[in-house]
Amino acid sequence: MSVVRLAILSLLVVPALAFGQAKEDEADKVSNDRPDRPLQMPPASSEVKEAFDDFERFRRRNAWERALKALFTIPEAQALRFVDGQDGFIIPVAQNRRAVLAGLSPEGQAAYRLFYDDDAKKLLEKAEGPAELKTLERLYSEYFLTTVGDTAADRLGDLHFEMGRFDRAADCWLAVLRDYPDTDLSPALLSVKAALALRRAGRAGEIEPLRRDLADRYADEKVTIGGRTAPAAEFLKPVLSASGTGLDPAATPSAPPGAAAVSASASEPDLKLAEAVPADWQMRFGESVVAGMTPQERTQWDSNRLSGAVPAVTVEGTTLYANYLGYVFALDLETGKLLWRSGAFHNLDVPAAQDQARMLDPARFAILASKEHVWTLSRDLVDPNQMSPFRLTCRRTDGGDVVWQSTNLPDYAQLDLFGTPILANETVYVVAKPPMNYRPDQTHQYVLAVRASDGKLRWKTEIGTLRQGQRYYYYGLPDDSPQPRLIQRGGSLYVDTHIGVLARLDAESGELEWGYGYKTDPVESSGRFFFFGMMPPSDSTSSSTPLRSGEALFVKGAKSERLYALDTDRRKMLWDRPIAKSARLVGANDRMLFLGGPELSALDLRTRTLLWATRVPGGSSESRVLVRPGGIWQLTARGIFELDPDSGRVRRIFRGDDTGSDGGDLYVSGRHLVAVSNRTIAAYPIEASPAGGPARVDEGPTKKTRTTDD
Amino acid sequence: MTKSNSAVRIKGSRFKVVGIVALAAILGAGSRPARAQFFGSPGASTAPVGNIEGFTVSGKGTVLGKPNRLEIDLEVSASSELSADAIVKYRDTKKRLQEAFAALKLDNVTVEERGLLVDQKGVQINPYFFDAQPNRRSKAEVQLTRRLVVKCSEIRKLDEEALLQLVAKLLDVAQDAGGKVTGGQNNFNPYYYYDYSNRSSTGLVRFILDDYDKLEDEAYAKAVADAEARAQRLARLSHVKLGPVTAVREAASPGSAPTGAGMNARSGHDDDSTAKRLESSRYQEIPVQVELVVRFDVSANPPGNGRTGD
Repeated sequence: MSVVRLAILSLLVVPALAFGQAKEDEADKVSNDRPDRPLQMPPASSEVKEAFDDFERFRRRNAWERALKALFTIPEAQALRFVDGQDGFIIPVAQNRRAVLAGLSPEGQAAYRLFYDDDAKKLLEKAEGPAELKTLERLYSEYFLTTVGDTAADRLGDLHFEMGRFDRAADCWLAVLRDYPDTDLSPALLSVKAALALRRAGRAGEIEPLRRDLADRYADEKVTIGGRTAPAAEFLKPVLSASGTGLDPAATPSAPPGAAAVSASASEPDLKLAEAVPADWQMRFGESVVAGMTPQERTQWDSNRLSGAVPAVTVEGTTLYANYLGYVFALDLETGKLLWRSGAFHNLDVPAAQDQARMLDPARFAILASKEHVWTLSRDLVDPNQMSPFRLTCRRTDGGDVVWQSTNLPDYAQLDLFGTPILANETVYVVAKPPMNYRPDQTHQYVLAVRASDGKLRWKTEIGTLRQGQRYYYYGLPDDSPQPRLIQRGGSLYVDTHIGVLARLDAESGELEWGYGYKTDPVESSGRFFFFGMMPPSDSTSSSTPLRSGEALFVKGAKSERLYALDTDRRKMLWDRPIAKSARLVGANDRMLFLGGPELSALDLRTRTLLWATRVPGGSSESRVLVRPGGIWQLTARGIFELDPDSGRVRRIFRGDDTGSDGGDLYVSGRHLVAVSNRTIAAYPIEASPAGGPARVDEGPTKKTRTTDD
Repeated sequence: MTKSNSAVRIKGSRFKVVGIVALAAILGAGSRPARAQFFGSPGASTAPVGNIEGFTVSGKGTVLGKPNRLEIDLEVSASSELSADAIVKYRDTKKRLQEAFAALKLDNVTVEERGLLVDQKGVQINPYFFDAQPNRRSKAEVQLTRRLVVKCSEIRKLDEEALLQLVAKLLDVAQDAGGKVTGGQNNFNPYYYYDYSNRSSTGLVRFILDDYDKLEDEAYAKAVADAEARAQRLARLSHVKLGPVTAVREAASPGSAPTGAGMNARSGHDDDSTAKRLESSRYQEIPVQVELVVRFDVSANPPGNGRTGD
């Protein structure tokens, strides 16, 4: 009897457990279609998803004709919309279709060729002239496994290479090598071409497997490239010598100048501050702001978050350019002399008295510079419209005259530029969204490529739709939305939206290639009442710029509780790990990943364990930390702290000339360490001497410091 | 039932009522002298009532003593999604603080640990949060918090300048090592009404007097003398002779009650609860206060000796 009861109980309980697990997995899964995710990449229609489901169903039954027909019902207009791929990647329909076809069994492939070879051959014949690229792309996507698919991929690779899209060219050739084993094309030639494209794209990590394959199988095979015929290995030699360092001028990762993340490179010289040395010069802009304020105004200013703003700074040649809450100025790095400025800082006391200025996030002010121009992202503090958008302004470096600004150009109408822009190949890349008071049904997020010289929009690509919706702010509550970050590498542009998606775009065309959906906080309700002001303050941390170490690109969303290591070239997630939401990326070397937040800490990249954590005064949540092979430096309210990267031990505290500030950012330029706080910009001379020894504290004298008081 | 019967019954019940009232009166009268045997409530110690067998007076004694020790409260706190990370952060922060103080090589400085609080961070329900509710899916992070007390002894021999230098050094070391110095000024924000309870200033540094046994003896002696003087005066004015002490009660003793502005006679935080100490948020002499309530017997003056209390 008891056995029967036990059996009945088991039958009742086991399904319940199974249901529970399924629900848990479902809740944990990251999908582009989940309604609670803050950003949705342009989704494919439900018919497309049904087509993939139908294909899978018929494939299992070996009903090949119906299975393949289902795939070919997908309209071409949907090819660049997005569906969930493997490992959390969100990929275009065309890529997913090709991946599905590449996974066909031999039987399926035979059926596929039987049904579609003729169509593919006809299309290939038409691939000439202006329609060549589009036709080849269609062949590559829809007919890759037909008998002409390899030829189409090879030709498409050539086209992409000529157009400078090295990433795509490499992908085309690698697709033939990996997914088309019975190709009649020369594997040696394809390997060499792929290696060349990979090198140009900065994907050095993928060249070594190609080299091994060539050495093992096609070492003596002769190939002809650019009219020159030589053994394949000969062509690879220059590629390998350059890829050994992984550094190619066109492929060097480009991080925004104002970004907090810094990659440690072994080629950088060690940084050593001289003992107790005064600053060579110091620009005390903070004193100019508060000069003449009444005690009441001073109290108001000190309680305003604008008073904690650290200017965005960039260095070009021997000139330092700064954007202090929209006031742009240039300093001579050698003397500290003020070269020009766009306005007097003491005017800041006016916006400090206005509530709408309190709502600004000072971290949104940004600056970029080239030899001729300086670009700033800012807005007018006295603008009574609290929701007015930020504008991009281009000025001449020699006097600060305005060349153009986005508010005067129709392309930027109804766009609010945000995040830290980057400059590459005479193009400014910046993220945009509709202004806060725009129609809630049109809240798309874009990446813009702007011609740097005249502000003309080169392309504008939609990353996705913001599900966050309209957010209202009352009574001077600040906008704390995370700022997106951009990096450029090879021919690709990566944007970490910090709302759950890392997206990769083609830097030249702006085409959205894929996205990676990571776990993040779900959408919040749209209204914010003033009662929020009484909430206990949470640890706020600035957005991290994605960091690369070896083949891994590290991503940590500002609202995410996980750290991800992605192989962006092979589109794989290498690993992920839980991490405090307050953590951010500040630097990396080949062994460790350095994290900021309430404390500075180091993560072992091999074991993925936290090696050490050191709390410096004021924490490490926002300021720009210098990470170099010889040490880690951070400007705090109590001076510049130097830490041993291996142990986290504080080696030295250099008080400097600006104790009592809120801390800020550090930059190295020539023989100066430039410390930028919310009150001053100071340049300390750097001397070379060995690091190590016990922790020391140098009380920096201030008597000899030359000051620039406005 | 006849009329006479009911009259008898009414009469009988009247007798019963009278008997109960009489009994209550006797019991009440008997209890008055008994209550007078005891001191009044502590709050009424300055005006003893109902003592008909002597004088009950209070005597106070105060002796001032310089603090011999100072304390600084630090907080070590770490949180993370992974408990293992929180432990590394917490352990490293605590270690660096302890190493920083050890590096001072001051024999009279020690760092003591208080209880470890294992809590969660990230899930907070706020009653003022009318709109969006806290995210149900956001995970709570493990938070480890421990209070450290930096103790510096033998400060009595330091002059004020040297003491200031020492305090500055300790505070600097604590902050440079990433310690969060707790206490200090709580700026009151009139708009944040929930903050009413949190606006007293405790100071960053606590000055302690805990070697006051001798001072305590002096304070007791002064309190007894004060009580006796008061009783003598009462006896003299009342024309009775002061007898021996019949009872003594401690109304206040060192460490049991507030000892003045800016001072706190709490018996210490957490693990210090059993320690005997006086503390002040200011660097000044700390009063060792004793208050006694003393009852003296009295007797009538001898006939030929006048009616004075002498």
